[in-house]
Amino acid sequence: MPKFDVSKSDLERLVGRSFSLEEWEDLVLYAKCELDDVWEENGKVYFKLDSKDTNRPDLWSAEGVARQIRWALGLQSGLPEYEVKESDVVVYVDEKLKNVRPYGVYAIVEGLNLDEDSLSQMIQLQEKVALTFGRRRREVAIGIFDFEKVKPPIYYRAAEKTEKFVPLGFEEELTLEEILEKHEKGIEYGHLIKDKPHYPLLVDSEGNVLSMPPIINSELTGRVTTETKKVFIDVTGWDLKKVMLALNVMVTALAERGGKIRSVKVIYKDFEIVTPDLTPKRFEVELNYIRKLSGLDLKDEEIKELLERMMYSVELEDGKAKLLYPAFRDDIMHARDVLEDVLIAYGYNNIEPEEPKLAVQGRGDPFKDFEDAIRDLMVGFGLQEIMTFNLTNKEVQFKKMNIPEEEIVEIANPVSQRWSALRKWLLPSLMEFLSNNTHEEYPQRIFEVGLATLIDESRETKTISEPKLAVALAGSEYTFTNAKEILDSLMRHLGVEYEIEETEHGSFISGRVGKVLVNGKEVGIIGEIHPQVLENWNIEVPVVAFEIFLRPLYQP
Amino acid sequence: MTLGYNEKLVLLTIAKLEKASVEEIVKETRLDQVAVMRAILTLEKEGLIKLHERKEKIIVLTDIGKEYSKIGLPEIRALRVLREKKKAYLDELKDVLREDELKAIVGILRREGLANVRKDEKGLVLEITEKGEKLGERPIDIALKLLSEKGEVSVDEISRIIDVKDLKRRKIAREDERVERTVEITEKGKKLVSKGIELKREVTRLTPELIASGKWREVELKPFNIKAPVKRIYPGKKQPYRVFLDKIRRRLIEMGFIEMTVDSLIETQFWNFDALFQPQNHPAREWTDTYQLKYPEKGYLPDESLVSRVKEAHERGLAGSRGWGYVWSPERAMLLMPRAHATALSARQLAKGIEIPGKYFTIQRVFRPDVLDRTHLIEFNQIDGFVAGEDLTFRHLLGILKRFAIEIAGAKKVKFFPDYYPFTEPSVQLSAYHPELGWVEFGGAGVFREEMTEALGIKVPVIAWGIGIDRLAMFKLGIDDIRYLFSYDLRWLREAKLIW
Repeated sequence: MPKFDVSKSDLERLVGRSFSLEEWEDLVLYAKCELDDVWEENGKVYFKLDSKDTNRPDLWSAEGVARQIRWALGLQSGLPEYEVKESDVVVYVDEKLKNVRPYGVYAIVEGLNLDEDSLSQMIQLQEKVALTFGRRRREVAIGIFDFEKVKPPIYYRAAEKTEKFVPLGFEEELTLEEILEKHEKGIEYGHLIKDKPHYPLLVDSEGNVLSMPPIINSELTGRVTTETKKVFIDVTGWDLKKVMLALNVMVTALAERGGKIRSVKVIYKDFEIVTPDLTPKRFEVELNYIRKLSGLDLKDEEIKELLERMMYSVELEDGKAKLLYPAFRDDIMHARDVLEDVLIAYGYNNIEPEEPKLAVQGRGDPFKDFEDAIRDLMVGFGLQEIMTFNLTNKEVQFKKMNIPEEEIVEIANPVSQRWSALRKWLLPSLMEFLSNNTHEEYPQRIFEVGLATLIDESRETKTISEPKLAVALAGSEYTFTNAKEILDSLMRHLGVEYEIEETEHGSFISGRVGKVLVNGKEVGIIGEIHPQVLENWNIEVPVVAFEIFLRPLYQP
Repeated sequence: MTLGYNEKLVLLTIAKLEKASVEEIVKETRLDQVAVMRAILTLEKEGLIKLHERKEKIIVLTDIGKEYSKIGLPEIRALRVLREKKKAYLDELKDVLREDELKAIVGILRREGLANVRKDEKGLVLEITEKGEKLGERPIDIALKLLSEKGEVSVDEISRIIDVKDLKRRKIAREDERVERTVEITEKGKKLVSKGIELKREVTRLTPELIASGKWREVELKPFNIKAPVKRIYPGKKQPYRVFLDKIRRRLIEMGFIEMTVDSLIETQFWNFDALFQPQNHPAREWTDTYQLKYPEKGYLPDESLVSRVKEAHERGLAGSRGWGYVWSPERAMLLMPRAHATALSARQLAKGIEIPGKYFTIQRVFRPDVLDRTHLIEFNQIDGFVAGEDLTFRHLLGILKRFAIEIAGAKKVKFFPDYYPFTEPSVQLSAYHPELGWVEFGGAGVFREEMTEALGIKVPVIAWGIGIDRLAMFKLGIDDIRYLFSYDLRWLREAKLIW
């Protein structure tokens, strides 16, 4: 899902080896990525990687991918270790942020020696994590600051909307409210805080603003360049576990470049924490579970070795593997998640596929066979089958058909009004089809076997999609009789007795329209389409049609 | 080559006459000129007769000549008057001569010595001579008569009567050219005739009357130009994409799969997401990625014990899982939506109960909030299902996928990629090497998470799979615009090639 760009040379620098393109295609599989695109720019080769896992933000950067590949190749093994030294920096979190944006976690990374590649990776990772893992900054927003310009202690506080600072990319001060209206990021993300009584603000001891999470950094501290040696990272959101994971992903990626991680003390009203917390997490799996479900005849030691290549530390005991895994992951819920890592380390394409031998008998839905028989018959009448969309709109279903509007299944958030409801009858779709083909030779004889979705409050989904047959004949020679001939023949072929009863219907010409009754129950409508409807659809030849429910005609 | 009635008749006539002109044949056969010529050309092409053409100079009457042949030459008309009156003023000839003829007549009568001319105070007086009184048929009169009788006369023949120049000078006749066609039978023709030619009436249509009366024996059914182009006609046909889907459905049933069905296109989020262990804050469940209904807005949840197991799986985890760790909302699960994936049906089927071992499939219409264009559909068909069995393994999963690639995509090679679905672990993406398309992403699969199957009451591994057939269908149908799978273009449907 998340796609990100890396330069080949940067990746190879991080892995410590060079590879051919074909080798890269296979290597990125270890990091659950697919090589989506390769291109050259200013003499450098770039890859677009498509990460398959929305729960592994640690794999969305050159650093993360290179790390996993180093392990997979056996250049390193077991749990990655990162040294975290405490700093004396403290951040105070304002309790008034509880309903605004309650959690902030922080870290310092120093000793950086950023070049263009590493700088762009840092920014890209920050964006991707906030976008995909952070749900467009709602759950996770990340700020990175030049720490040389910050004077601790730091305060994460609820600010008045009239407070001012110079946002990144601006020259003068704006109030927080103005930022939401004028700054590009304010317009994009303002909805996340707009209706809160206060806005969140990160400031240092001298009152200088670092940022207004989750919107924008300040011009003063929020500009990070290749000159920056020491960064302060801020991650805010609504779930402490989630923001801590995002922080771990950021700091360990920078540590892969030689950055030194320094922790920060975060003081809330009721508790204190030290972040980042890189303590490895524990899990335990039965080796037999891995063996059985993989279908691979793996020895205990082989499983251990495969897991170590996926950055686990492994202790074998009583047929179990006691695992430690890195703090930049939080996706292991079940032994299955560990199993997948074993299989990826083994290599999906190194596994011999085996077809299961199951004594089973296939069978189709008999009603589908019934539909097929009806479709065959319609083709026998020289009708062209069509297949159209269930999605439509009220205008097509009612207004253009010259009938009063009714309640039908409607979509609250359609991409386009044209596709904003589900059809309750098929004939409008057939009329739309005929309307699209007025330049094509007549007569035009068409049918569709499809679904009409109706409201039925008694059902689990409050709806039912009924299979129906709709037939339309368009041509100067057609009258009611031509439609009735087909209906009549169909009913005889099904051995179903039916009657036609006079009725009135806005879509049809008065006196040339009837209800179709089976056992006294209405199952459909037949008639000559009203000239007003033809005009609505810009059709200039007579159209005769019928539409019937198929369930009442079905006798298994 | 079979000879038609006309050709046979003409050949027999020529055989009788041995050598004849076209005119004679027309007269003899009573066919019209055009039909005879057509028959002659066919017979000559077959080498049955020989056609000779001779060009000849001829004389034909001009329009004036034709008129004179009816009313008489001007001098003859003038003499009729003079014979009666003996002498007359020129003006008195006005009744029988036109203005231009009046001017010329004096010269003609005098030159031929038919009248004497003098002038008095009232004008020119014409007096008939003895020669004029007794004038018989002159060469010009004979020629005029001959020409008017025959229409055309060869220059040779007319020259025996009169100098052609005289006729031309008086604008009575002009020279022309004609082609004289004569035909004679060849040895081949004679042989054919001697074998006997049956001459029957020729008809175009074999009518019921001819059949019933037995008269078809007495007629010749005229051959048709079987190479002539015909009008395009349009048969009734099934929709080609649907035929393609029908075919896959049959194939899956043959492969031992049971078809799953459902009665609505609308689904609760419960079945679309929650039952599949997809957390309620999952990005795919966001407003921008999932349709919601304006009406009806919410449906009902299934029986309570199932709902509580699903809730527990999400909140605290089932089957050894730690779960997602959030507070699960039943209200959220009740929200209705057009079904976004066919896997929702698998969840329903698992909850309903399944045969173990069992193989299930469905071809379902599903909906995604997208923009309709040449590469995206907003509504499409998904082929999806699962295989459940006591001892199923990851190798079986790969085996099932490979079988699909071979059976349905006609692939020779397959390649597997790690993948991610919220409801399966491990997950795989399948690429199949299609002989014409190259590597195609053909399907996704995985083993349903235990948190999911446990909540739905299934204790054995369940391998879920879905196959992406759109690219294959587009290749089969020869289209590069995906909208044509649901074509609104009648011309295209009428011309679409058969799929089988």
